[in-house]
This record gives sequence, C-alpha cells and structure tokens, in this order.
Amino acid sequence: MVAAKKTKKSHESINSRLALVMKSGKYTLGYKTVLDTLRSSKAKLVIIANNCPPLRKSEIEYYAMLAKVGVHHYNGNNVDLGTACGKYFRVCCLSIIDAGDSDIIKSMSLSTNE
Amino acid sequence: MVKFLKPNKAVILLQGRYAGRKAVIIKSFDDGTRERPYGHCLVAGIKKYPSKVIRKDSTKKTAKKSRVKAFVKLVNYQHLMPTRYTLDVDLKDVVTGDSLQSKDKKVTACKETKNRLEERFKTGKNRWFFTKLRF
Repeated sequence: MVAAKKTKKSHESINSRLALVMKSGKYTLGYKTVLDTLRSSKAKLVIIANNCPPLRKSEIEYYAMLAKVGVHHYNGNNVDLGTACGKYFRVCCLSIIDAGDSDIIKSMSLSTNE
Repeated sequence: MVKFLKPNKAVILLQGRYAGRKAVIIKSFDDGTRERPYGHCLVAGIKKYPSKVIRKDSTKKTAKKSRVKAFVKLVNYQHLMPTRYTLDVDLKDVVTGDSLQSKDKKVTACKETKNRLEERFKTGKNRWFFTKLRF
C-alpha cells in the first residue's frame, strides 16, 4: 500500500487550514471558476472532492498539470468540502488564489513531495 | 501558476461547428477586447484532416490525400481544451487581427495556413496534430 490511509490528524489540519484560508485568503468555489483561475494562472492550489465525476476530475488535473498547480484530493465528498469551507452548499472543487495567513500551499507541496 | 494559453499551443475546439477539431493558438487576448469582453484567442485549425496515405498509393493519390483544409476563428477560452502539445508553425504574419474583417481576407488567410499546414504534414512532424480525434 503506497498511499497511507489518511490519518485523522492530517485531515483535521487540512480542515483548519481551509478555514483559515476562507477567513483570510482569496479563493473561488466551483468548477467554472476553478477552470477560469487555472487558465489565468491565478490559482495556487486546487482542491477536489472525492465524489467529483471522474471526467471532471481528470480535466481539472490536466489543466493543473499544464499550469503547474498542485491538486489536492480532499478526503470527503462535496458535502464535506462545503462544510469545511463553512458554506451551506456543496462544493465539488475549489481553487485557492491567495492563501492569506494559512500555510496550506506550503504544507500541501511538502506532503506531496514526501 | 504558469500561463499555458500561449501562441503555438495546440488546442481542441469543444463547441461550435469545429467541435472536435485541433487548432493552434496564434494570438491570445487574455483580458478580452471591447467587442469580446472575455478571454479569447485567435486560432487556426484543421477543418478537414488529411486522409491516411498508404504505400500503394500513386503520387497523384498521395498528393490528393495529404490535403488539409484550414479555418481561422476567434474562440472563447471556455470553448477550448488545451493540450500539452505545441505546434510551432509560423502563422503570425499570415493570420492577423484583421484577417477576420472581411470574407476575402479570411479566405486568403485560410489558404496560406492551408499551405503551411500541408507542408508541415508532409514533413511527418507533429503527427498527433494531423490525426483526427476519435470520439
């Protein structure tokens, strides 16, 4: 098993980092705006829920590959991701433009490099 | 964080008459213009792909089969799928901003892109660009 099971601790830390981004940073929610930010090279990190349709997921990953932007597969579905963003609607994918006070981008790039 | 909708990028058109066709970006207008207040780009693409040429074909037949029909269009970014491929054919002088002003300018631009694309196809490079996308 290469990918370790997502521990509860790291999951909580992503949630807390996301909450900090929601408070202090700039982000966009939703597929259309995610693609827009990727095209205009404004996105710094893209987060995709786990029940995102596979075609849409691979399309976002391809755009992110072209734009050299990290993609994080959130351990939860769009309902959970919406809750993690503090919203009362479902969020399938979101793009972080400016992390504000959070270190989500640095910690994401560290964990993917490991 | 890298801009990838740049000139010479190969893209696939997603909407319109030319949906499913491969094209190359010639000029991109990221912030739009007065008439088109959205990100769009000028692309030149293949209207009719060249057919498969086999060894049995005579020279006359290969010449006929290697013909390419081209188009020039202004397309919204949303209606494009960018790819990781590039096509460095110099079309900047042929296809300009005002190629689409009048019908005969467009025809001359299309004719010239057709010639350039055909000679690129005959060299055998950029094989991916000249194969039809199956869907």
